Amino acid sequence: MIAKFRRALRAFQPKFYRSVSAHYNPYVTFTNYRRIWLIGIFLLIATALLPLLVVTAFHYQLIQNSIDSELILRTERVASNARRAVTFFLEEGLDALRFTVNEFGYGRLTDPDHLQEILRNLKLGFGGLTDLSVISQQGLQIAYAGPFKLEGRDYSDQQWFIQCRKQNLYISDIFRGYRDVPHVIIAVKAFRNDGSYFIFRATLETERLIQILDSYKSGAYADIFIVNRQGFIQTPSAHYGDIFEKMSLPLPSYSSRTEAVIYNDIGSGPIITGYAYISTQLAHTPFILMVVKQKQGMLGPWQELRSKITWFVGCGILIVILVMTLTCTYMVNRLYQADTAKAETMALMEQNNQLVSMGQLAAGVAHEINNPLALINETAGYIKDLFVIKHQYKDDKELLENIDAIIDAVDRCGTITKQLLGFTRKFDPKIQQVDLARLISEVLAFHKKEAEYRNIEVYVDVEGDISGLETDQGKLQQILVNLVNNAFQAMDDGCILEVRAAAEEADRVRLTISDNGCGMPEDTLPKIFEPFFTTKEKDQGTGLGLAITYGLVTKLHGKIAVESRENEGTTFVVTLPKQFKEEMRENESSSG
Amino acid sequence: MKQYSLLIVDDEERFANMLARRLNLRGCACEVCYRGQKALDVLERQSFFLVLLDLHLPDIYGTEVLSRIRKRRLTTPVIVLTGHGTEDDRKKCLELGAYDFIHKPVGIDKLMAILEKIEREPA
Repeated sequence: MIAKFRRALRAFQPKFYRSVSAHYNPYVTFTNYRRIWLIGIFLLIATALLPLLVVTAFHYQLIQNSIDSELILRTERVASNARRAVTFFLEEGLDALRFTVNEFGYGRLTDPDHLQEILRNLKLGFGGLTDLSVISQQGLQIAYAGPFKLEGRDYSDQQWFIQCRKQNLYISDIFRGYRDVPHVIIAVKAFRNDGSYFIFRATLETERLIQILDSYKSGAYADIFIVNRQGFIQTPSAHYGDIFEKMSLPLPSYSSRTEAVIYNDIGSGPIITGYAYISTQLAHTPFILMVVKQKQGMLGPWQELRSKITWFVGCGILIVILVMTLTCTYMVNRLYQADTAKAETMALMEQNNQLVSMGQLAAGVAHEINNPLALINETAGYIKDLFVIKHQYKDDKELLENIDAIIDAVDRCGTITKQLLGFTRKFDPKIQQVDLARLISEVLAFHKKEAEYRNIEVYVDVEGDISGLETDQGKLQQILVNLVNNAFQAMDDGCILEVRAAAEEADRVRLTISDNGCGMPEDTLPKIFEPFFTTKEKDQGTGLGLAITYGLVTKLHGKIAVESRENEGTTFVVTLPKQFKEEMRENESSSG
Repeated sequence: MKQYSLLIVDDEERFANMLARRLNLRGCACEVCYRGQKALDVLERQSFFLVLLDLHLPDIYGTEVLSRIRKRRLTTPVIVLTGHGTEDDRKKCLELGAYDFIHKPVGIDKLMAILEKIEREPA
């Protein structure tokens, strides 16, 4: 199954994915196309995606911030409105008490019947009142109207009484009374004509307060309730604790204004809390109004927008990756094809060049042989003449001399033929011990006559300690032939050619071929190893010699460098490893 | 047999001498030069029926010798006899007025036939 999948995948694999054949290695511009491909894809995608991602993140943050501030504003507004309503409710109660005290005075308030009537009237006009009571300066309950029998009770040590004496007005926490109904006490201090004072107290049911708060509640995620300054819940809360218990939110710090904060680390997710410390114009209250909204519930439109953005960006990223990958694959594939085609052409040309070299060689050899053959011809002809024309043959010194001349000439031909055979054999790709001195002299031998005729001096200097060079003799020979040919073409008659070989470092051999011929202008130097670059006239050079030489040197894991000055001469320096290493050789053979 | 006077110019000394000897046997008077300059000097003093000229001479290249002969307005026919000649050489020599361009080795009978042919042709 997996193997099948792999096979299917391989069908989509671009051609360059498998590494370039080592056979073409000397000729290709790049070898690791997979790396180029990966780097290309990475750079293209990174360049395309980076701005997109940055802008998206920026945009995201911007929307998030504006939504946060919008939510805070809305919560603040709700808290502010609710605060006004609660304040109004409490002030209304206090105002009613003050009005009653001023209207009726101590005398009528302490009359139980009157007090009952006042309670009834207040209930009718105001509602939510449970009872009314009048307490003396000393804390004794003087009159009471309400459902309980509380006359005569002593409140002198009670907290609310002490507070009221100090502040003239008092609003208590909400608490459960005897009937187990949450209520709040409000009280006013009033002076009598004789200078003493009494306290007029009312108990309010919280029903109306709760209704007021509920009217500001909006949505399932909102909660609005009152806590006292110790954090105990005063009116029912939907999510943050039971009534009269400590609220599960942190108590907000004091502020005279309505505020809103965002808490991100509460268990139920981020919440927005609007709060206000409630105080009436007449008296402080122990109440803090809390408006709590779960952020999650208020983000509906934003979440919709966010998922749209996420989808859009996600699709964008996918498209970018797809398009960039395809583009990069296509481009690298084209590059690979062009490079491979170039390498194939170069390899073919090297082969052609080898054939051309062979042809030149054969022609050279034929010419070389012609001279000794002419000598044989004439000498043998003369001997025949001696027999036919002169009739003298016995004990003739001249005859012997001539026979020796024939044998000499044949010997010369034999030498040339042997050289030719040796030359041909050395084209086999084979790593072997190379006698560099001999190789150089063999190559130069084919230019010996030309050098003589053109009066060109040839110096050869091979250092003694470079024995043990192991390389492909055929390729090295071709390198030498090409460079020496070039030198001969560059030199005028009477010039000097120097061929030197010396050890460089421990494991390299340096081969220097320098002439004092026409040289090359500096601007052509970088181009001379390019295929089809030639300075020779049309039909004179193919422009391949040095390109092929370069390829051959690379094949032998060597390096070639050139120095040249116009009209002063040219020096080629070839450095080769002394040992053609084993793994290199394997590469070579596996490619073949 | 007609007596021809020939000048052989070739740096391959043994070959030149052997050819001269064989032509002697066939009734020709041969002068031998191993260098181009020497040949030009000899031609200054003496006239020949024919010059056999090699191309690859150590001092002056054969074609140059040929063109100098022509500059001196000498009408002596010149046969270029070479072991190294290329097609370009052949063209150039014929342009310079060489009578023929022959590759070494050449049969003596062929050479004699050419001599007789030159003899028959009107000067």
